[in-house]
Amino acid sequence: MTEQLTRRFFVARSVALATATTLAPGVLPRWAGDGTATATTTPEVAVRSAAVADPTELTVAEAAALIRRRRLTSEELVRACLRRIEEFDDIYLAFNTVLAEQAIRDARRRDRQSPRGPLHGVPLAMKDLFYTEGVRTTANSFIFEDFVPPYTATAVQHLVADGGILLGKTQMGPLATSRATLPNGELTTVNAWTPLDVTVYPGGSSTGSATAVAGRLAPGSTGTQTGGSITSPSNAQNLTGLKPTHGRVSAYGVIPLTYTRDHPGPIARDVLDAALLLQCMAGEDPNDPRTQGLPPLPDLVRAATPVRRSGRVDARRRTRIGVLPGYLDARPDIVDARRTLLDTLDRIRGLRVVEVDPPDEWELLSDAFNNVRLSERTEPFRPYLTQDLQLFGVSVLNWLRGLFMSADEWITGQRAKLTLLSRLLDGVFDECDVVLQTSPVPLDIVGLPEIGFPIGFGGDPTVPIGAILGGPPYEEDRLVEVVAAYQAVTDWHHRRPADPPTDTAARTRMSHARVAHRLTATEAARLGQ
Amino acid sequence: MAETQPPTDEELDAWIRARLRLIGVDLDQLPETDDPVTGSPTREQALASLRRFLRGTVPAVSGWRPADDPALQQQTMPPVLYPAPHSAWTQSDGGGR
Repeated sequence: MTEQLTRRFFVARSVALATATTLAPGVLPRWAGDGTATATTTPEVAVRSAAVADPTELTVAEAAALIRRRRLTSEELVRACLRRIEEFDDIYLAFNTVLAEQAIRDARRRDRQSPRGPLHGVPLAMKDLFYTEGVRTTANSFIFEDFVPPYTATAVQHLVADGGILLGKTQMGPLATSRATLPNGELTTVNAWTPLDVTVYPGGSSTGSATAVAGRLAPGSTGTQTGGSITSPSNAQNLTGLKPTHGRVSAYGVIPLTYTRDHPGPIARDVLDAALLLQCMAGEDPNDPRTQGLPPLPDLVRAATPVRRSGRVDARRRTRIGVLPGYLDARPDIVDARRTLLDTLDRIRGLRVVEVDPPDEWELLSDAFNNVRLSERTEPFRPYLTQDLQLFGVSVLNWLRGLFMSADEWITGQRAKLTLLSRLLDGVFDECDVVLQTSPVPLDIVGLPEIGFPIGFGGDPTVPIGAILGGPPYEEDRLVEVVAAYQAVTDWHHRRPADPPTDTAARTRMSHARVAHRLTATEAARLGQ
Repeated sequence: MAETQPPTDEELDAWIRARLRLIGVDLDQLPETDDPVTGSPTREQALASLRRFLRGTVPAVSGWRPADDPALQQQTMPPVLYPAPHSAWTQSDGGGR
């Protein structure tokens, strides 16, 4: 493998790769578990004046509303996003591929149509592990650097069927591990809140998806989580990310990291957008048995609509919010933000903060047992492991580790999963309805839904602070209701980072800093466990 | 029963290399020194990483049982690949709580 090959697609990212096949809208009906077609609720929202003045400030719901009302064209919105990409993405490096011409063409077609879904005309960014027919899908890896999928991932088809426009593919941790880097570990995507400091953690592995939304290059995006890759970048960049229950969203056409734990989901600017995008992405898929036979998706847009009575915000349902021991053992500024969060939630009528006990063996079952997934990581990549270990670049260690857990140990891991779920349902979720966590991993292990959302700022340099709320299986609506009430009385989710400087000197410093800072294979193994 | 001695680095390395050879994975494809072009770890770094995994995660997982009694633990917590979907698939009312 030559250096030229290594860098070909990642450094000279391809703006306007529009030779690819256009995704056809409306191609995939969705079916509820009982065989009936599902409908997606369309939110009617008031649009903030700041967003009317600058279309890149629009949320997905606001943009869709303006397009439906013929006060904005899809083409105007797509072009506004492309202008910011052209101006700033050599600093952010959020995208691998920008489909400029294709997106403009699709936008014009949307503008000629009557609205076809709740996302009609809204451009979206896709993490670069979702298959996109005719468009290169790399997972930021050597393995897939030339891979052009023959079909489009079901979740992306759903978004397009509901009117979404594919704006581009976003950078990610190689093969969905760590923060976004080149396959050799060289840092790429920055945190949009500290665009000139590549060392500030931007969250991973859905890094580019978060930076694109935070940096106003796209109104919304998709991510995947197999540990914390939706909630972590959302927390790092002042966004709201919704990791659904396992099986809610099809993983067909998503490059796998762990079959039993891969969760596609949205990364958005607020809870309404996260709910709307998940509602569009979700649904039973005949190509993915993990999606079949599940409870129907609740009306998430309704759940994301705050309830106001007599001028105050109420919870939609009485909800006990559990807090585990240690939630306030953190850096002082994080503790302040968390205390304020708890006070704010407790003041909302219908919400009650309660202390809950962790399940027995909480640390063991969510730490050492997190590594049980490594065998699943390895298995689908066996042909590449025997071909050339260097194809895995900086990420190879965890793929090798997966070869060293015996089948009986892997079975023990699956028994531990049921144990952990039982203890959560019979213990934690007996004492509360949703639970605040310091790590997304334990609930991710057993596939429970989680939402990451912003609760303040702190640190040096100043960066966003987020919270993670988890719930019982298939109760995404409960999580969304709580965060909707919280966001109705706070404004963290409306705050945006300043634009990066555009002078040449700053850009030169950034390119040097990126080369100087790289993840080692050992660091990548630790971050990607 | 005699106390089992933990394996030495050399024993683990020999087993790691043998296991990899059995399934056609060639550790010698990794470089002997740092390789910034691919970011690959060195062979020695890979061996060290695998030794840590074998001494840390593997015994922690292997030694765990869902209950104390060696006979009765067999009767509880059968393996479940997909815990959250399982909770829905086993609900008589079609899932959810």
